[in-house]
This record gives sequence, structure tokens and C-alpha cells, in this order.
Amino acid sequence: MPTRDSLQLTGGMLQMGARVLLVPGFIIAIAIMLKGYADIGDGFSAGVIAALVVIVQGLAFGAEELERIAVARLAPLLGFIGLGLAYALAFVPVLFGYPILTHFPRMNEHAEHFGPLEFITPVLFDVAVFLVVYGFCVGAMMAVSRAEVRHQRLIRRARQRAGSRGGDAV
Amino acid sequence: MNAAMMLLVISFAAPLLVLVAGTINARLVPHVAVLATALAAVVVGWSFWQPDAAIRWTWAEVYGLHFELRLDGLARLYALLAIGIGFLVVAYASRYMELHLHHGDRPASDHIRFFFFLLLFMAAMVGLVMAQDLILIFVFWDLTAIASFFLIGFDQHEEDSRSSAMMALVVTGVTAVLVLVGAMLLHHDYGTWSLPAIIEQGGIQDSAPWALLLIAIGALAKSAQVPLHFWLPRAMAAPTPVSAYLHSAAMVAAGVFLIGRFYPLMQQVDWLLDVFLVIGFASMLVGGILALTRNVLKQVLAYSTISQYGYVVFMFGMGGDYGIKGASFYVLAHAIVKSALFLTAGAVTEATGKKTLADIGGLRQTMPMLALGSGMAAAGLVALPLTIGFFKDELFFARAAQLGAPYMVMAVAGAALTFAYIFRFWTHIFLGREISPSQPISTWLVWPVVVLGLLTVLGGIWPAPFTHIAEAAASVSTNSPQKLHVEYVIAPIVENLMAISTWVFGFGIYWTRRRWWRVALGIAHLGEQLGPAHWYYRGLNGLNHLSDSIHSFEVRDLRSRVASILLPAGILVGLAVLVTPNANSFEIGPIQQSDFTLVIMLIAAVVSGLVVMTLRDHLRLAIGLSSVGYSLAGVYAFMSAPNVTLVAIVVETILSMFLIGMMVLMPRTILRFETEADSDRRSISRDAVIATVAGLLVFFVSWGALSRTSWNTEIIDSQTVLTPAVHGKNIVTVILADFRGFDTMGEITVITITLIGIISLLRSGRLR
Repeated sequence: MPTRDSLQLTGGMLQMGARVLLVPGFIIAIAIMLKGYADIGDGFSAGVIAALVVIVQGLAFGAEELERIAVARLAPLLGFIGLGLAYALAFVPVLFGYPILTHFPRMNEHAEHFGPLEFITPVLFDVAVFLVVYGFCVGAMMAVSRAEVRHQRLIRRARQRAGSRGGDAV
Repeated sequence: MNAAMMLLVISFAAPLLVLVAGTINARLVPHVAVLATALAAVVVGWSFWQPDAAIRWTWAEVYGLHFELRLDGLARLYALLAIGIGFLVVAYASRYMELHLHHGDRPASDHIRFFFFLLLFMAAMVGLVMAQDLILIFVFWDLTAIASFFLIGFDQHEEDSRSSAMMALVVTGVTAVLVLVGAMLLHHDYGTWSLPAIIEQGGIQDSAPWALLLIAIGALAKSAQVPLHFWLPRAMAAPTPVSAYLHSAAMVAAGVFLIGRFYPLMQQVDWLLDVFLVIGFASMLVGGILALTRNVLKQVLAYSTISQYGYVVFMFGMGGDYGIKGASFYVLAHAIVKSALFLTAGAVTEATGKKTLADIGGLRQTMPMLALGSGMAAAGLVALPLTIGFFKDELFFARAAQLGAPYMVMAVAGAALTFAYIFRFWTHIFLGREISPSQPISTWLVWPVVVLGLLTVLGGIWPAPFTHIAEAAASVSTNSPQKLHVEYVIAPIVENLMAISTWVFGFGIYWTRRRWWRVALGIAHLGEQLGPAHWYYRGLNGLNHLSDSIHSFEVRDLRSRVASILLPAGILVGLAVLVTPNANSFEIGPIQQSDFTLVIMLIAAVVSGLVVMTLRDHLRLAIGLSSVGYSLAGVYAFMSAPNVTLVAIVVETILSMFLIGMMVLMPRTILRFETEADSDRRSISRDAVIATVAGLLVFFVSWGALSRTSWNTEIIDSQTVLTPAVHGKNIVTVILADFRGFDTMGEITVITITLIGIISLLRSGRLR
């Protein structure tokens, strides 16, 4: 059995590691996503990495910490925005007479680029995938943690009520 | 901007304007709606002096789809009905709905919903009548069904209203699918979605008659023709302006419009015209007899509408010059008089608080203007001279006379029934002694009726403007230029004799009503007991039962929930394995020295899998399961796929945390019960058999699939070649975002739906 001290120590280490990794983790995720078209990586892997970095904050600092971090709080919204972006990329070309999900610039046309980052619509589509995957992972964990927090609060209230009435604890 | 564009823009801007006005102040909404429809009415009037106009935008060119609209003679007729009558109905509703909401103690914000859907319906009608592309026709067609659902079910707190809306949606929605199937069959035969192009190709090809039959069924259901008529009387649960609009000039008119639109093709299929004859006559008869037996004002008019559209369908069935021109003229005349009568019913109910003929009488003294307006309209419907109605029946009789005695008898029978029930309707309301006292009502509930009544008489004195509209519409329906001229002939010609016998017989039917009243009621009762409505309810109940029993099995416990998904899926996959040709599959490749590390990781995965089977504590189970995933990540690492390994590890970690998180949410008692429950020998062996069969199935499917891919690398090769051309260097990402991007779309859609499910399930707190 771990002792109380060893638990505190590992907790402290987890908190430090989580905080130190937060920003670099995100930067790595975004890099993996943006250069995904030219190199190893894509929106999906970037999405799960970014999600893991955020979820670990919750593990280390508790559910309240997740509520403080905007990118965690807004995760489901980001997911919906991602899906909207993907649908826009799919169906806007249809309005102009192209097949569904036609990417631009078209095949063999010139594409501008900045280092490994290319200015082409597939990269935007990958960003959409990133947002959906990130939104799902963090959003689902947030839903679980919020449900638990709400439950604990209910129990506390019930106990207080029972205590104030002087009856049995619930 | 041409006339077609103007009409389209103004029609679709109107519901949006209502929404905008609603956000400012809900009380503004009726005024904005009146102004917007008035403007649309001006534009539709102006369009009659404009040449035919078209809009054609290409969209989804690969599928040959075009946003193709055309304002032709047929479109003008029905757009005039939709917008012209629409304007009067909206003007009426601007006052009526205020009272309606006030009686129901409902907020003013309900105005927004009402006028939005009313104007959306109008816009959909305008789009429908101009649409030339088969898919576009279907889209607008369905839009009218959706808007009508919300309008019929506007009083959503009333059960009757909700079930009526559902019935209208089911009948017109299911048959709308037939229209789509018909459109697809036509596309298959003619190779184009463009209706004018199909008509230009001429001739009737292969499956075209069946396609036209399917489209006709959709049209007949919308026009409430026997045997799919039962939704219309129920739809009278809607507020009166909705009944007046949808069920005189718009929704039911959409049905015969569709027949008119496809008529150049339909007239080439003789048996289809016979179908129209039979259904048209049946509707005339059934609608007429039932209208005679009803007491509720709007019910009389609803059955009358079924009967009157029966005339129109009958005329399409008879065909010929008079038939088609007569049908177009009939729709125009009927819309004017019938909407006036519906509005009369609403005004009378508003004034007296009564809804049935038995409770109302002698209103001519207290409501003289309404009596006059509706009297003119009623005279129009029973085809008295000096009204537009006289000519509608003359054309009907003229065509019947051309075809011979049986048709003449049918025509006179239908028209005589109309005379009888409308005579009963009007005289009971306005003549005789006063039964219920009436309150003064707003002039806004009266003047639209008077305007429509005056139009009825105007059409009887100066029919030329109306015949011009009808002949232009008939020219489109026959695909050849038509001329229509009507005039009074004071001589014993056959049409006049038929008209006179109609009045005599009609009055006779009314006069002798006490003798046949019970027989007619018996027929109505028999229809209710055995008719299509009865089968509709039985079918609906059966479907409900089926769905309930599947649902109750699914939610019984976790095991049945999993079984209800996995069992059908397993059977389907098993069948697929059996029927798939399996040459070159199920082969064991050589194991080389370099595969050694891979084999070790696979063994680790197998061991983790076996260990999971022995665990009972939930936390250990979750960790054990994740170790299966981690060992597979190791397999990827040894297969030189570092990126996949990274993703696998991260995904596995998140999944494990999620699994543990879910266990925290579960009540402890359930977890303990599951852990400590002693399974008996029988259930253990049953589980073992299921697991073995399922495992073997998955094994063979994976084995078959994996050993197959190595034989066909053409697609991969071509994608590898194409990757640089589409600006990519990483083929995996290019496949995900480009080559197979549509699959990815589906996947992220499923992920998002799952997220919505998780959030809404957990919103109420901990699992119970």
C-alpha cells in the first residue's frame, strides 16, 4: 500500500509534469496537424495528443481545474465547429458545380506554402478532424467529470439537510 | 432580375422577414406578413405582363442536377393561387390569429411560428410550381409537406391537432417518396433530371408508365383523392386560415398541379388516364355524399374539397381540349370560391362561437356583408349563371358530352351532389331563424370574403382574364398552344340542359334529405369502420407495437442491449463471409526471422486477452483490457509505424481513463453485484459458446480480409502515384483528407453524434 507521503509526492510530480507539458503538448499537437500533409502525422493523432494533455490536467488538479481552462470548457463547441468546417468544405464546392468534397487548389495546380505548411483545403479538413477528435475526447471526459461533481454535490446537500434535521445520514 | 427570380426572392424573403420582425416585436409579425404577401401579390400580378422567364444554375454537375426554374403559364396560374389567395388569407389571419391566440391564452410569440410556416409554405409552393428539375420538384414538394405539418399541428397542446398533423405528414410524406422513386425511374429511362428535356425527347420509354403512376399516386394523395382522402377532414383541426389556404388553394392544389406538370407524359399512357377517371369519380361521389352528412362547417367544406378535386382529376382522365383547359379553369375558379367559404366558416364561428350547422342559422340579418360575399362564392361553386363557376361546369359538361352518355350521367351526378351540400351549407347558416346570437366581428374577417365573392361574380361577367390564365396553363399541360373562349349561349344546347338538370337534381337531393339521410349516414359509418382511415390506424398501431417490443427487449438489461446490436450484425457479417468468394483467402504466409519481435508482441496481446477473462474486479478489468490495446500498440511499433503506435497508445490511455470514469459514475451496489454474482454452470457454458463463435467469426473475417489485400495493390499504387499531384507527401493523411475524405466525414459525424449522446445522457448526473 502506498503511504500518505508517497501519494503526496507522486501527486506533486503529476501536477508539475502536467503543467509543464500543457503548452509544449499543444504546440506539438498543432505542429503534427499542420505539417501532417507533408510529413508524418494528421489531425486525428494531433487531436488525441492535445486531448490527453488537457485530460491529464484534470487528473492532476481535479475537475474544477478543467472548468477554468477555456479550451477544456469549450471542447464540445470546438468539436461542433470542426464538424461544421468539414461540412462546409464538403458542400460549398457543390454550390459551384464541383463534386462533394472537392479540394483546392485542384490536382497539379500550384499551391502556396510556408515551410512544410501548405495553403490547401485538405489541411483545413485535417483541422476539422483535429477539432472533432479533440472535442469528443475532452468533451466526453468533461461530461463524466461534471456528472460526478454534480452527484457529489447532491450527496453533500442531502447530508447537510439530514444533519440539520438531526435524522440519520443518507 | 427577371420575373421568375423576383418571385422566388420575394417569396423566400417573406418568411425570413417574419422571423426578423419576430425578434424585434412579435406583434409586428402579422403586419409584416401582410405587407410581404401584398408585395408578392403585386409581383405575381406584374409577372402576367412579362414574358416567360427562367433561372438556371448548375449545382452538382457530376450528377446532372440543375437549379432550374421556369415561370410558364402553368406556374403563373398556381403561383397566382398561392400568392393571391395567400394574401387574402394572411390579411384575414392577421386579425383571426390574434383572437385565436387570445382565446387559447397563448403568447403573442406564437404569431411568429404561425406566419413563418404559412409564408414558408407559400414560398415552397412558388418554388414547386416553377421547378423544372425532377429533384428540385421533389425538394419543394417535401418542403410543402413539412410546412403543412407544422401548420396543421399549430395548436400543439391539443391531441387531435397533433395526430392530424402526423396523419397528413404520413400520407403526403410517404407518397412523396413515391414521387422521388418515380423521378429516379424517369432519370434512368431518359438520362436527364430536366422535365422539359424529357418531354422534348417524346415517347414513353420502358419503365416510364410506372414512374408516372408513382408520381400520380403522390399527386393524388396530396389532392386528398380516394382512397387517400382521409387526412384532409382530420386536417381541419388546424386554425381556419390554414384550412382556407392549404385546403382550397395551396396544398391540395399542389397535387393536381403535379398532374398538370407531368401531363404531357401522362396523357400518352391510356391506362393511367383510366385510373384518373376511376379515382376522380370515386372522389366526387365519396366526397359529395359525405359532405351531405356532415354537420361541422369545416368538415362539410373538407369533403367538398375532396369532391371538387375529384372533378379536376376526372377531367384530366377525360383528357381532350376541353378536359385539360377545363381542369385548369376549374382549379382557378374553385380556389376563389372555396377559400371564401372556408373564411366564412371561420368568421361565423368567431361571431357565434358555434361550429356546427345545427347551432347556426339566420345570420343574414346580423352579418349581411358576409352573407352577400359568401353567397356569391356559394353560387359560384354550384355553378349558377353570372358567376365564374358557371363556366367551370360548362367546360366539364362539354367534355363529358363529347365522350358519351355514361360520362354525362357521372358529371351531372357529381355536380348535383355539389349543389345539394352547398345549398344546405349556405341556407342553414344565413337563412331561417336565428339560432345562436352573434357578436360583431372585425371587418378584417369579412372583407377578404367579399373580395373573393366579387371575383366570383367578375369571372361570371367578364371571364376573359381568367380564361387567358387557364389557357396558358393548359398549353403547358398539353405541350401545345391552346385557346379558351367561353360565353353564355341562350339556347337548348347539351351543356345548358346538363346544368339545368344539375340544379333540379341537386335541389331534389336537398329537398328529400330526410328520406336518404340515414342511408348516407350508414355509408359514412361503414367507411369509417372499414375504410382507409381504419387501416391507417391499424397499420400505425402495428408499427408502434413492433417498435415498442423491440425497444423493450433492447433496454431490458445490458446483455439484451448488446445482443440486439451484435446478433443482427453477426448474422449479416456471417452471411457476407459465406457468400464472398474465398479463393486466395485464408492462406498462411511464411514467418521470417524479422517477424520474431512481432510474434512476441502478438503473444503478449493474446496473453493479456486471456488474463482479462479471469478478472472480476472492474478496475482490474479496465486495466487488463487496456493492456490488450497497449500490446497491440507494441505490434505497430515493431512494424515500423511509429505514428500509428503513438496514436494507439494515446487512444488506449484516453479510453482507459474514460472506462474508469464511467465506472466511477456507476452506483457501487451494481458494481458489487456484478462482481460478486455467482454465475451458474449453464450460463458460463452458454457465454463460452457465444464468445467462441463470435471470436472465430471475427478471426475468419479478419484473416480473409487481410490475406486478400496483398493480392490487389492497384488502388494503393495509383494513390501513391497521385499523392504528390494533390500536394501531399504523407499518403496516410492524403487518403484520410482527400481520397477517402467522404469516409472521414461519416466517421467524424458519428463521433459528434456520440458526443451529443454522452453529454445528454450525463446531463442529469450520475448513472442510476
